[in-house]
Amino acid sequence: MRKQALTGWLLLAPSLLLLGGLVVFPILYNAWLSLFDKHSFLPAQAFVGLKNYRYFAGDEEFWNSVYYGTVYSGATIVLQLAVGVPAALLLNEMFRGRDFLRGVVLFPYLIPTIVAVILWKWLLNDSYGLVNHLLLAAGVVSAPVAWLGKDFIMWSLIVTSVWQFFPFVVVTYLARLQTIPPELYEAARVDGAGAWRRFVHVTLPQTRSVLFVIVLLRSIWMFTKFDTVWLMAGEGGVSRYIRTLPVYAYARSFTYLQAGMGAALAVIMFVMLIVATAAYFRVFRREEALS
Amino acid sequence: MAISRRHFLAGTAVLTGTAMLGRAPAALGQIRELQVWHTEVEPQTVKVIQDTSIAEFERKFPGFKVKQQALGWGDLNTKLLASIAAGSPPDLTHLNPFMTASLYVKKLLVPMDELIRAIGENDIHEATLKLQYFDGKYYGVTHAMGSTYFAERRDLREKKGIKPPETYDDMLKLAAALTEGGRYAVQMPGEKLYMGFVHPAEWLAGNGGSWVDPKTYRPQLNSQAMIDALEYAQKLNKFMPGGWSGQKYLDTLAALSTGKIAMAYLSGARTIGYIEKYAPENMRDPEHFMPMLRPHGPSGRVGISALDGENWAVFTQSKYPNEAFEFLKLFYKKEYYLQYCHSVPIHLTPIFKSMLNDPEYLANPRIKKWRPWHDTMVSGLKAGRFLPIGFSRPEDNLVPFLAELDGSGIVADMVVEVMVGGKNPKAEADKAQRRAEELLTQLGFKRWS
Repeated sequence: MRKQALTGWLLLAPSLLLLGGLVVFPILYNAWLSLFDKHSFLPAQAFVGLKNYRYFAGDEEFWNSVYYGTVYSGATIVLQLAVGVPAALLLNEMFRGRDFLRGVVLFPYLIPTIVAVILWKWLLNDSYGLVNHLLLAAGVVSAPVAWLGKDFIMWSLIVTSVWQFFPFVVVTYLARLQTIPPELYEAARVDGAGAWRRFVHVTLPQTRSVLFVIVLLRSIWMFTKFDTVWLMAGEGGVSRYIRTLPVYAYARSFTYLQAGMGAALAVIMFVMLIVATAAYFRVFRREEALS
Repeated sequence: MAISRRHFLAGTAVLTGTAMLGRAPAALGQIRELQVWHTEVEPQTVKVIQDTSIAEFERKFPGFKVKQQALGWGDLNTKLLASIAAGSPPDLTHLNPFMTASLYVKKLLVPMDELIRAIGENDIHEATLKLQYFDGKYYGVTHAMGSTYFAERRDLREKKGIKPPETYDDMLKLAAALTEGGRYAVQMPGEKLYMGFVHPAEWLAGNGGSWVDPKTYRPQLNSQAMIDALEYAQKLNKFMPGGWSGQKYLDTLAALSTGKIAMAYLSGARTIGYIEKYAPENMRDPEHFMPMLRPHGPSGRVGISALDGENWAVFTQSKYPNEAFEFLKLFYKKEYYLQYCHSVPIHLTPIFKSMLNDPEYLANPRIKKWRPWHDTMVSGLKAGRFLPIGFSRPEDNLVPFLAELDGSGIVADMVVEVMVGGKNPKAEADKAQRRAEELLTQLGFKRWS
């Protein structure tokens, strides 16, 4: 029995080592680092305990980042669902060219982020962008709109992100739609249910669990999204208006050169996500029990 | 198929031997690599360096191979600091002058007095000679000088009968006059480095201000000099395209060349390349496009522009410091250095006074055609109208935290809130002052009480 247990542990050891080295250690090291005042590149550090956390509690920039991050992730998730779910429902129907369209809809998700962002920045540029050109030609606006300026940069970022990531919702939701037994719809039809009632009483209950996963994953991914946000404004002046938490953490680590502060922000982000995920699970389970 | 133990061992021995032979030159130290990083990314410049100084260096030092890496400004600082942290910096690199003091105080730089004397200490232009001079020793030498200024549509200004502006008020009047018919007067680059560091440094320098108190290091972001400058910038913003803060330096050059704006706020001789490529054919000349020096503020005497000129530096951790200096001697050899400067004419103006009016240097076709741009550079140098990038006063080379102040984005946030956000300059300056004081305290540079 003991020998069997030992064999079991030995077989598990590579996985445990990998998990420990690649997941647990970085998290713990980051938490440890957050207790130091440490230069990002030079060997200068001093233990400061929770000072970095106390600093952020009163740091206006931190709270701005939380606000921008929440607006960005909230709006993009809602819009990804608003676009992705109807698109999946449409692509679940039979019509000519459906297979082609299913391929096309994946396109934004397949292209590299840098390409997607450059493309959108080019489209939205207020000097030579196509969007302004079309709006001016159609007489919708009388002067070019500064889509990448202070007032619209967040919306431009949201549109770019929704365009880039809604195919994930489409693919995942469509996969689940295809497994719903057709008899359920037939029974609903026999009972006189129209399209809307079939959606509400058959499709939605059947796809609740996949929607739960989609919202959970996309929330985590959008809240921690760095590349799209960074590429949209980089370190430009206007970046101030879309400086989400991951970007602020990056800035603290690599432009302020304060590795301890950057690590503290990463820990805060991690804790915020765990708390939000736990709350989300709780609400979902309660609703599931009720239904 | 079964393999016998003997065959397996023999095969392994052959493979190991082959692999070791492949590594032999490096293992025996026959090929040593001299790592050289610089910020001149134009392909023709990279080629000139390769074909001149590198080629001769490799002939003179057969055991060495020079590996040059051209990096953009934005990439240089982070990559350099990471390499220093890893204990393997390049043997020779460009540094932004505002970083040099920070590295000097950490004792990371090797002095280069002997090199400076060898290439001609007395001939190096005063605008650059002592930028990296600490405690009686030289720790850097500028590779070339390129001044920055406005690039203006001279023809449009002259049509209005307006002289180049001397003061902030003159500039605002000019901007108002040139904003018409869907064209904006001026556009500033939206990158943080420029609008959040280079230009605010110029504003302070041209208005009698400074980043910090020289004795206590206390930031001076809410000084009257900065508040005046912010008020000026806020007014100037009315004459800029709405989305300027989301656009980049090269966008401004394209906008100038194609007639969307009348002045590019940040410009250097590199602008000529854009003009020659994108401006209407009959306008690609100094009659239409000219440099224009900065105006000064109410408390300043003359307007100041940034002088773009990184310096070469050798680290104490460099593997081959002596060879790095030998390489630099070849780099500054007259015939090679001329070719280097001619690879981007005027933008790469020589650091040697004797070369500024050297007929051989001036014979370059682009310099001939755009001679007024060269003359603006030379007259600006004579009149003391330039300070190195990010400097608010000449002594800023001794301030060891300018890189961190730039990196923090505190100044950029202040500028963008005032210019784009339309917020009160004094309130934003006070906020930036608080943040900067916190930052310098965290970095251990607080000397004020």
